[in-house]
Amino acid sequence: MSQLKRVQQWATFARVWHIYDAAWQNPFQSAELLKKYLMGMHKPIYHPMNDCGDHVIVINTADVALPGDEWKKRVYFHHTGYPGGASWTLAWELHKKNPTMVMKKAVYNSMDRSLQRRYTMERLHLYPDANVPLNLLENVSNQIKQLRPKPKRLDEYKEEEVREFPKLIDLPKSYIVE
Amino acid sequence: MVFTSVVNYVRARGPDEIWRKRRIFKLAAHFIGRRRNCYSIALRNVHRALAYATKGRKLKRADMANLWETRVRAGCEQHNISYETFREGLARTDILLNRKTLADLACWEPYSFKALTDIAKRRALDDGLAGIKADTSIDRIITRGTLHRDK
Repeated sequence: MSQLKRVQQWATFARVWHIYDAAWQNPFQSAELLKKYLMGMHKPIYHPMNDCGDHVIVINTADVALPGDEWKKRVYFHHTGYPGGASWTLAWELHKKNPTMVMKKAVYNSMDRSLQRRYTMERLHLYPDANVPLNLLENVSNQIKQLRPKPKRLDEYKEEEVREFPKLIDLPKSYIVE
Repeated sequence: MVFTSVVNYVRARGPDEIWRKRRIFKLAAHFIGRRRNCYSIALRNVHRALAYATKGRKLKRADMANLWETRVRAGCEQHNISYETFREGLARTDILLNRKTLADLACWEPYSFKALTDIAKRRALDDGLAGIKADTSIDRIITRGTLHRDK
């Protein structure tokens, strides 16, 4: 095997680390995107029995945005296995207990049931904020593009920018809420 | 009317019992436990296995088609072109390759596959297909459409 082929082989089967910012993203649509990277479906060498999935670090899972009134309506089911062991948790309750769980469940449920699913999930690293351990962060070589841009709130702009923003009209004082 | 020969046919039950069973046991050779050793159980499971095999022939084709499509999609994504645009572009340039061939190229001959995506992009741009953005890297490719457009 020539030197080039050796490197090519190594590069083809190396695991790549991706990072994804989940702030203001729909976790269920994001899951479909992340699943592709976790299972290696973004590589032309993909095969269900070919272990070619990548690692994905998801940051800011505490800031995921569920569509519509799903925080109140979406229910997560759990059963302990004992009689009367069923419990139903609303999405906002689950998110309060563990801010990475909604994202984790979304990715887990987006994948088909198979023996590989649990091992694939091991390659998903979830963090509620941007504090990622450095030993993981130094592996990252790609950022997955967010599905939708994160809008900037008014209080995140500098005062100058707000003042210098072009205005069509000056509203009368009585129209402005203090 | 009296059928004299029918009685004789009833007694002639095809091949000898051993050979009849052997045919089933041969098909059940890779089963586990009594499924391979007891005739009546083996027979039942062989029938089931053959029924699965019949269904499987169709499923196998669908599975392979799915796999090829996944691979071609992955290849297209690497070159910033959607699968649909890619196939449309190829069809319009009379490059009539099927999913299997495209998947093989994407997997084993990435440079040939890149050439195909470039051609598809050029054609998609020339024909003004939606879902393709102008790309300066494919300016070197000339198709019949490009020539007409320049005139």
